[in-house]
Amino acid sequence: MSDRRQDYLRSQKALGRHVLGVFPALYPRELAWAMNSLPVEIWDPPLAGAQAHGHLQPYICSVVRLGLELILSGQAELCDAFLFPHTCDSIQNLASVVHDYIGQERPCYFLYHPKAPVGPSARAYYLEQLKRLAGQMGDGLEPLTDERLARAVAQGQEIARLTAELYAARAEGGLATGAGEFYRVLRRGEWLWPEDHAAELGALLAAGRHAATRPRKNPGPRIILSGIVPNPPEVLTLLDELGAAVAHDDLLGCGRRLLFTPSQASDPWVALTEQYLSLPPCSTRGDSIVARRDRILELASASGAKGVIFLLVKFCEPELFDAPILAEELKTEGLAVLPLEVELNQGLSGQTATRVEAFLEMLG
Amino acid sequence: MSLIGEVKFEFMRDLGAPALMRLGKAGKKRARRPADPHFGPPLKCAARLKQIMTRHYFLARYAPGARPVAWVTSGAPVELLRVLGYYTIYPENHGALCGAARMGSRLCEEAEKKGFSQDLCSYARIDLGHFFSGQTPAGRLPKPDLLFASNNICQTVLYWYKALAHYLKVPFILFDTPYNYGSINEADIDYMVAQAKEMIPTLEKVARREFNEDRFKEVLDLAKETSLTWGRVLATMKQKPAPMTIFDAFIHLAPVVSLRGLPVALAYYQLMLEELEQRVERGVGAVVNERKRLMWDNIAIWFKVREFAKIFAAHGMNFVAATYTNAWAETIHYLDSADTWRSLAKAYSLVILNNNLNHRLGLMENMIKDYAVDGLVVHSARSCKPYSVGQYDMRRILMERLNVPSVVIEADITDSRHYSEEQARTRLEAFFEALED
Ligand code: SF4
Ligand code: SF4
Repeated sequence: MSDRRQDYLRSQKALGRHVLGVFPALYPRELAWAMNSLPVEIWDPPLAGAQAHGHLQPYICSVVRLGLELILSGQAELCDAFLFPHTCDSIQNLASVVHDYIGQERPCYFLYHPKAPVGPSARAYYLEQLKRLAGQMGDGLEPLTDERLARAVAQGQEIARLTAELYAARAEGGLATGAGEFYRVLRRGEWLWPEDHAAELGALLAAGRHAATRPRKNPGPRIILSGIVPNPPEVLTLLDELGAAVAHDDLLGCGRRLLFTPSQASDPWVALTEQYLSLPPCSTRGDSIVARRDRILELASASGAKGVIFLLVKFCEPELFDAPILAEELKTEGLAVLPLEVELNQGLSGQTATRVEAFLEMLG
Repeated sequence: MSLIGEVKFEFMRDLGAPALMRLGKAGKKRARRPADPHFGPPLKCAARLKQIMTRHYFLARYAPGARPVAWVTSGAPVELLRVLGYYTIYPENHGALCGAARMGSRLCEEAEKKGFSQDLCSYARIDLGHFFSGQTPAGRLPKPDLLFASNNICQTVLYWYKALAHYLKVPFILFDTPYNYGSINEADIDYMVAQAKEMIPTLEKVARREFNEDRFKEVLDLAKETSLTWGRVLATMKQKPAPMTIFDAFIHLAPVVSLRGLPVALAYYQLMLEELEQRVERGVGAVVNERKRLMWDNIAIWFKVREFAKIFAAHGMNFVAATYTNAWAETIHYLDSADTWRSLAKAYSLVILNNNLNHRLGLMENMIKDYAVDGLVVHSARSCKPYSVGQYDMRRILMERLNVPSVVIEADITDSRHYSEEQARTRLEAFFEALED
């Protein structure tokens, strides 16, 4: 299987599949799969923001900037349509810019998901929204049948099960896989067809477990990552080099949206709704900070992590409001905290690397 | 609520506040500014506005114990709280006040000391800074019993109020308004109605009162009439010369934002409208020699309002329209006391910032035509992503379609650290030249 995203997308299109460009963060991948469409997520494409500068002010986060750049630079040509979940103000307006202002003609779909505090009305509304989205996508992609949707939900649950197993094995110290490799494979789920991704997750689990049977010399401190995405990748490389073990994460692009509780409901729409509601607390849904703090504390206590590194994307309001309170609360509970403000794909400055090293040394 | 609190509040309302107003008036006589030759006579109603707002903040100190106190976002359906007798404080209005008093950056820094990033909305930082330091030009804000927000203006308020709720340990209620990507539908309205009804028990519990549907109808009618009258006030600026400026509107907006649903706000705008209509009749303009008419996009630069007003007036230019001030008049016609809940959902979810950018573009095009606008000033406000993302394209499209000269000012609503005098001056000079071509 190709390591290059573009080649892979072409091969999928050759199989008759549609490609759906998806902006962060929370959306039902299963709907796209059931419409014979491959969702390809646009989080942090490795580009410079040259053309996007003409459309966005300098105070807009790099996720939005790079996403728009991908479209403007013609590198999203393989996408047949785009999906914008209602993640934050910046993505909300980006959706409108792409749909209304830049003259691109492909269909744009939108998903509004209810914001917390979640009352009973939110559940009914989310289910309704899924059906509405499916109706809209059905016009441009392929029609949905109950059977296809049920199969896609089962595929999603299989991936969630494997992902949860990987996370659990890692948290227990039973997975000897560096952070770089762990997130590389995990994040391939952002653009692989579910069977392909499930196979890779399975292989990672087997290899990591096998490697864990060999004793590790001088195991470094265990930490948790929080923030949006594990980027810049150089952070992961540095953590691996320094022998630190990422025991768990509270990253929007990873644990916060992949670790749902598979639903037992026989109705696939109900299952998708329950799964959405079962996701870990998240700033973009407006969940309470206490709920998020408690989850991080639980993860730390179960995995023996002693510190949390926040990878804060500059200008990201949902995270930048939660972070100071979370940091203070976690410190009160005895965890060490390192907030790092990052620009995606811009490497790691010497100063930041030194801060990471000092932090890990302090954890011992 | 306690009896002593109630007695104290009523004493202050009936005796203390009027006494304060008299004192204020006396003080005012002593300190009058020399008239600026570029402006027409100042609005007489401004003195009444000052009284109303001073009284509101003054009485707020006595509200705890006498009234349930809520901190509310500018776009939240406050009518629900009015029915239950809440005393409402608007942190955004307070933020604007701090900005105008040039205290914005200082209060922002107080929040930054606690780890809140300088890149966050400065209304939020001011509010948190006020919470941490107690500093305010408004005397003292009462601690809330409840936080009430709607994300129809931005998601920022959700994160901000969540943080406040964490510190203040009081209930936080969100009225979640699905963003209107194309058109809202029945499911969206059903969701909002269901939510509004779900929140009533909490609102009642905090207020220790029962929600009354008849009262709800009365409040809706009052709020609707207030906003419609505000709309009429703004519409007087269609006249040439316009009897007021948008910089006046920025200031006179306070009652429709923070006292909506109370008789005092309606009475104020009736008074204001009467004065403006008289000015129109007599041909009195806000700017002497109004040669060019402009539109403002986005929230005000609160720490520069007076200065900007002067600069433009000196060039014979008057701002006659703004998407921002229009926001409290635009959708209120949906309110209907015969269909209380659904009409409330529509009126609040269809506001400009909860609507797609094509809607905003259409609105601006209409305003440019209706108000005979010659040029557009786009304030790119660092604080406000929902208002600002998309402005560059909007400006380009408007120039293409209507051939209106425009300028972008990179600034902020209240944090003067993000404003460059030099850059603004250079851009404005070029804009003035383009307008004269
Ligand atoms: S990084 Fe933050 S601000 Fe940017 S798109 Fe993601 S959630 Fe929104
Ligand atoms: S300035 Fe903008 S971001 Fe801040 S509260 Fe107002 S609408 Fe929200």
